[in-house]
Amino acid sequence: MKKNLTKFTLFLSLALALVACSKKEETIVVPVTVSTLTVNDLAADTVTGLGADGRPQSAGTTTYYSLVDNKVIASTDAATTKWDIAFSSTKILVNSGTSGPGLGGAFVFKGLFDDLKTIPADSSFATDNSTAASYAIPLGSGRAWYTYDGLTTLVSPIAGRVLVIRTANGKYAKIEILNYYKGGVTLASTASVNDKLFKQRYYTFRYAYQPNGSKTF
Amino acid sequence: MYSKFELCGSMSKKPLLLLFIIPQCLWGQAKFVNDTLFANSDSVVVTATRTERKLNNLTVPVTIINAKTIQQNGSLRLTDILKEQTGINLTSGFGSGIQLQGLNPDYTIILINGEPLVGRTAGVLDLNRIALGNIKKIEIVKGPSSSLYGSEAMAGVINIITDASTGAPLTMGLRYGTYNTVDANLETKLQTKNFQYQGFLNSYNTDGYSIRPNSNSRVTTPIDRYSTTQQIKWDITSKTNFLLNTRFTNEQIQNEIAVANNGVTIYSIGKENIKDVNVAATLNHRFSKALKTSIRTYTTTYDAVQNLSTINGLPYRDVLNHNFKRVENQTDWNLSKKIQAIFGLGAVWEGVKSSRYDSEKIRKQNDIQYAFTQWEWKPSEQFTLIGGLRFDQNRQFASAYSPKISMLYKLNPQHQFRFSIGQGFKAPDFRQLFLDFTNAAAGSYSVFGSAQAQQVIAKLEALGQIGNLFPNYYLLKALKPEYSNGVHFTWDWKINTRSAMSLQLFRNDIKNLIETQQVGTYISGAQIYSYLNIGRAFTTGFELEGQHTINSNWSLSGGYQYLRTGDKDQIADIKSGTVYTKNSQGYSRIMKLNEYVGLPNTSKHKLQAKVNYNSPKGYYYNLRAIYRSKWAVNNNNGNEVFDNGDVFASGYVAVNSAAGKSFKNGISLQAGIDNISNYIDAANLPNLPGRTFYTTVKYQLQKNKK
Repeated sequence: MKKNLTKFTLFLSLALALVACSKKEETIVVPVTVSTLTVNDLAADTVTGLGADGRPQSAGTTTYYSLVDNKVIASTDAATTKWDIAFSSTKILVNSGTSGPGLGGAFVFKGLFDDLKTIPADSSFATDNSTAASYAIPLGSGRAWYTYDGLTTLVSPIAGRVLVIRTANGKYAKIEILNYYKGGVTLASTASVNDKLFKQRYYTFRYAYQPNGSKTF
Repeated sequence: MYSKFELCGSMSKKPLLLLFIIPQCLWGQAKFVNDTLFANSDSVVVTATRTERKLNNLTVPVTIINAKTIQQNGSLRLTDILKEQTGINLTSGFGSGIQLQGLNPDYTIILINGEPLVGRTAGVLDLNRIALGNIKKIEIVKGPSSSLYGSEAMAGVINIITDASTGAPLTMGLRYGTYNTVDANLETKLQTKNFQYQGFLNSYNTDGYSIRPNSNSRVTTPIDRYSTTQQIKWDITSKTNFLLNTRFTNEQIQNEIAVANNGVTIYSIGKENIKDVNVAATLNHRFSKALKTSIRTYTTTYDAVQNLSTINGLPYRDVLNHNFKRVENQTDWNLSKKIQAIFGLGAVWEGVKSSRYDSEKIRKQNDIQYAFTQWEWKPSEQFTLIGGLRFDQNRQFASAYSPKISMLYKLNPQHQFRFSIGQGFKAPDFRQLFLDFTNAAAGSYSVFGSAQAQQVIAKLEALGQIGNLFPNYYLLKALKPEYSNGVHFTWDWKINTRSAMSLQLFRNDIKNLIETQQVGTYISGAQIYSYLNIGRAFTTGFELEGQHTINSNWSLSGGYQYLRTGDKDQIADIKSGTVYTKNSQGYSRIMKLNEYVGLPNTSKHKLQAKVNYNSPKGYYYNLRAIYRSKWAVNNNNGNEVFDNGDVFASGYVAVNSAAGKSFKNGISLQAGIDNISNYIDAANLPNLPGRTFYTTVKYQLQKNKK
């Protein structure tokens, strides 16, 4: 797994807004600069083989990730607030409720990553509740971030979906899942069964984390 | 939105093909015309108005394919000839169906001698079932104007007509081709002054073919298919006759499937048996020159049993039994020379048993009572106006009217214009109501018919099986019928004695489209689907056809269809900027309207051309080419709509050719090659085998010259 610092985003609109208001207001607002990071090929319970029932087999592991530190957290720290988000095949957890002791939460925003500049004030963050099979990022095809095509057996991230995350420390981040396959390349529908089996469950995603606790990116 | 279960596919349609026609009609007394290129204007068509009419006088576009064309093209099955028509494409999920005018196969009614075939899987009727050996002609009526046959004929009606009244007393044919395909025909005809009999026997056996490399699983599996039809026509008096048509088809399909995964190959053996029985009896009586009536009774049963046994897995059995009975009366009354009226009423009893429903032992039933009328007003030789209305009362659904209006205007002998507008509706079918199907082989997803989805899911929920229910689960309610409007305009132009062309513009709008939607998930994450009325779709375009006779031997014909399709709700969403797509890095962006490609499995262009040679000595040769442009097959770029970034099947060209000679002693020989360029696309065109060769010998016992 590699971590690349790929992109810096300056929100000029905010700066312009400041210019527009600067005559009246003397208050100095520090321009918010949040970097967008891309995480490549984060393995999430990758497949070990094919079961007799024809379904993929795996160890059932979960990969924990800290958005604050931009690194993988050991699963022995699952019960801590060191991690913010966790992945296990298509399931995404946040450090909240039954998943962890943190202040986490999430909801799915429909729109573009770059267009989500401020988390709307009326947004409500859900938490994980595994006993009720209810997760902040809902499970299943066509619900939160992906669709699964039973014919091609491929998972495709849904365009225009942003996962808005409240981290374990109660701050905010936004995530766009870019790809579910190794190398960040969507497989062709005609790809071999082996490729479809063993190249899946490698997340590529980009995210922005706002360390100052505001809801603005 | 377009479900994986209804892989229906392509579409297209063809308009007024002006081919040579063998005139004939069920009421007898057809006028014989010379079999020249343009004699077709006098040819008799029965489908369009349900009473014999000259092609030239029809107000709706009709394509006729006659026996000679079928035979010279070397067509064996109904699909062979339909795919060579302008704008008709085959679909390949659940057997080979067809699409007319961009509409799914379930919007086209297939009739044999005016009576419908049943036995659709996921809405598709497998047209490979129909052998062409004894067919006199095929009539294709486009648009919803043909409400005489049923309101669901939104795309059109294809009527396959066999006829005992003409032809040789004995015909035998044998064809052998690639993949060990043997097709044998035997046809007998007996004719006395007031009695006609036609018997037909066809056997079709093939090893099937495999076009997937390194695979022993065959795309078309070994098939043994036998069918027989018997037709009796008895003129009881000069005013009364009786017709009896029976058809029986029995087919065995053997399917050996090997699935290789990660070095482990799982073998399974499937056996499918399909029996299809049709019996139609009609009594016709003519009271006077101006008044006649028919009583038609029809019963048909389609019975399919599929057994699949895997070496390491549970055996799988799939049963579908569909029966359909109909009684109908139609009265034709010529009120005056200018006004003719048709009145009809009838009732249908229909039932389906399937292992894909909650119980294969309980037959799901529906019955329909209907009445229709059609009025034809012909104020002058130049102008004809037809108005029709059909009323269906469906036990399961609200009743509905389907009106239509069509007209013909003959400007002069060269130019004719036709215009038709009509409405149709299609009630939800048994599958959409009662399906209870879990696919254990592909991820254990389930599809539940809307009539019982909530009940079944509530039971599963009580058992703790349900993971999530989506908002649209709560929207599940009684399905409404789908409604369609169709408008057609046709211009026929006889340029000169050798050339003719026609242009047809069409537009079809459908609302309340019934679509498969995910309504929830199991605790395992597997999907649960049901059916909802959600879509509003359209198909529109034009067809251009032309024909040119070079000399007494050579002729050219061709056709082109341009088609646009779309889902109106999706288009509205795209316009409002709420539809996204992803770039190659996976970043989302707003999709533009010009990236939208419309409905899946529809091609923008379809072109077909034919060169034909016929010599007075009985030699013939033809070369036929079909082009179909790319079509969307899979949605893989993260939105629910089909756009430029999705997966497409490539456009292709298929070229077929046949040559033959008919000898005076009744023997005729034919040899042909299909798909000369050997175009193969196993994933998207499973019904197009590679290059195939065949040769046919036919013997026709000559009639005694009178």
